[in-house]
Amino acid sequence: MSTGAEGRAAVTPGFGGWLGGSALGLTLLSACQSVPTPVPDPRSQLVAKGRDIFFNETFGGNGRTCGTCHPAENNFTIDPAFIATLPPDNPLFVAEFNPNLSKNFENPRLMRQFGLILENLDGFADLENKFVMRGVPHTLGLRTSVASPAGPRTGWSGDGAPGDGSLRSFAVGAVIQHFTKTLNRVPGVDFRLPTDEELDALEAFQLSLGRQSDLNLPLPLKGTVAKRGQEIFLDNSVGKCNICHSNAGATANFGGGNLGNANFDTGVEDLPDQPARLTGEKVPSDDGFGRPGDGTFNTPPLVEAADAGPFFHNNAIETIEGAVAFYDGEAFNNSPAGRALAAADPNGKGIELDGTQIVAIAAFLRVINTLENIRQSIEFLEASLQQPTVGKAEELRRLALRETEDSVRVLEAGGLHPEAVAHLKQAHRLTRKAARSIFFQGKYTRDAVRELQGAKGVLVES
Amino acid sequence: MRKALMRGAVLGMLLWSGTPYAHGQEATEMFIPVGQSPGLSGKVTVIGSIQSVSPADRTIAIAGSSGGSWSAQVTDRTQIWLDRSKLRLQNRLGSFADLEQGRLVEVRYEDSERKGPARWVKVQLTQ
Repeated sequence: MSTGAEGRAAVTPGFGGWLGGSALGLTLLSACQSVPTPVPDPRSQLVAKGRDIFFNETFGGNGRTCGTCHPAENNFTIDPAFIATLPPDNPLFVAEFNPNLSKNFENPRLMRQFGLILENLDGFADLENKFVMRGVPHTLGLRTSVASPAGPRTGWSGDGAPGDGSLRSFAVGAVIQHFTKTLNRVPGVDFRLPTDEELDALEAFQLSLGRQSDLNLPLPLKGTVAKRGQEIFLDNSVGKCNICHSNAGATANFGGGNLGNANFDTGVEDLPDQPARLTGEKVPSDDGFGRPGDGTFNTPPLVEAADAGPFFHNNAIETIEGAVAFYDGEAFNNSPAGRALAAADPNGKGIELDGTQIVAIAAFLRVINTLENIRQSIEFLEASLQQPTVGKAEELRRLALRETEDSVRVLEAGGLHPEAVAHLKQAHRLTRKAARSIFFQGKYTRDAVRELQGAKGVLVES
Repeated sequence: MRKALMRGAVLGMLLWSGTPYAHGQEATEMFIPVGQSPGLSGKVTVIGSIQSVSPADRTIAIAGSSGGSWSAQVTDRTQIWLDRSKLRLQNRLGSFADLEQGRLVEVRYEDSERKGPARWVKVQLTQ
């Protein structure tokens, strides 16, 4: 039986062009064989160009790149644990060492403690008072989440891009907001704007990341708790999760077909005791989509969630269990979205979940996240065998290691599937051995892939 | 079945309250020079010089840079931005008084037909 994860692997074009048409080169074990020169694939070349721009291009600004806040080694997002590993001169911290950006550009304390970034979404006229503090959304699975009948949706409130609001235009706004040398934000002085060709490449690269299509739930899960979590997730009279996160993605389905990505006011802003506000730092309320905002925020995909916290636009909740529990609370059930769910319920109920049900849904989300991580790890490892240069193969193995580490962390933190964890740890060891080996790189890599497939076999029926 | 569909439809109306059109982020838009707005300039917006200004009905007439003449109404909702990038100075918020005859402007309309009220107007300043 084919799972959704398997189905996706077949259509995923890969990471930054490394896994595309240019990947048909020599391996260390076949270095002496004659290999025909691959025909350049324009799409792969565009993705590879986009990757290079994403991670290396500063656009003449303060030193930041797109990858500063969306690092590949941390699921294309940042969190306090990752931030703590960065050196003090990392451009993420530019507000700490560039005097021109020391005020009203970032809040270093909130960045380091909660992974929050400052955005002037309601204009730049009053920098002291008009700003919002937001987490960094990952850029995985964008192909499944950007499209909406009401127009493209980017960023936490869905309106993150200037111009036509598309993903292609997003980088222009990001450069102006985050890359500037001074708060004057003068193009040609404080930064340069991306060219049309660069925007095309950046869009192609971002769309190539992660899943290329949604899952098809239910999956034949083996774990008792995760399986029950999936049932609750899909039950529109209990968990009701699948209504706005169809197939654990980012699109809504109210019963009449998929509506694409949508914005909702779920009351996250009304949560009491939000961590950033507990510090006493100024954290203005965030009014979401539009200007002035309508209180709605964009729906993120859930497959990638478990290892990409903290959660919600303001990083208000650290754990996936806490994020699920949010929907059982007053902030959600008193919100426009919560009231609408209750109004449509035959018994007038919103979302009411007990502790075991919350943990079960979280277990389901942990398992589907792990399956996606395994899919990516295998993809990286298989591509590493086809790389003509040692450096690229090494980078792919490094990314595979990161994904495997995430898988272990996600399962262990939920007390789930120790047998799968053992397979994953063995895959990790073998991948590291492959990195150190000169003559058995291919063998160790293939063995690691087999262990990853073994881990997957523990999680879902094959 | 019918009841379930009705509930779905009601839920749809209640939840998907709405965001009627693609919404470019206007905060950073003000720093993008005339003619460089991604996906808009040359496709959706009108770029040209102001031919005349009518303070009475708050409209401007524009001679399009690539031909044609256009009219735009400036309402309370219209954002006016002064594009000073050619002077290597920061762009600023402007007002109706900045819409002077002869100045190069870029207009994004609220309507996709490029007529009626303007959503924003960029005014290029060169001196």
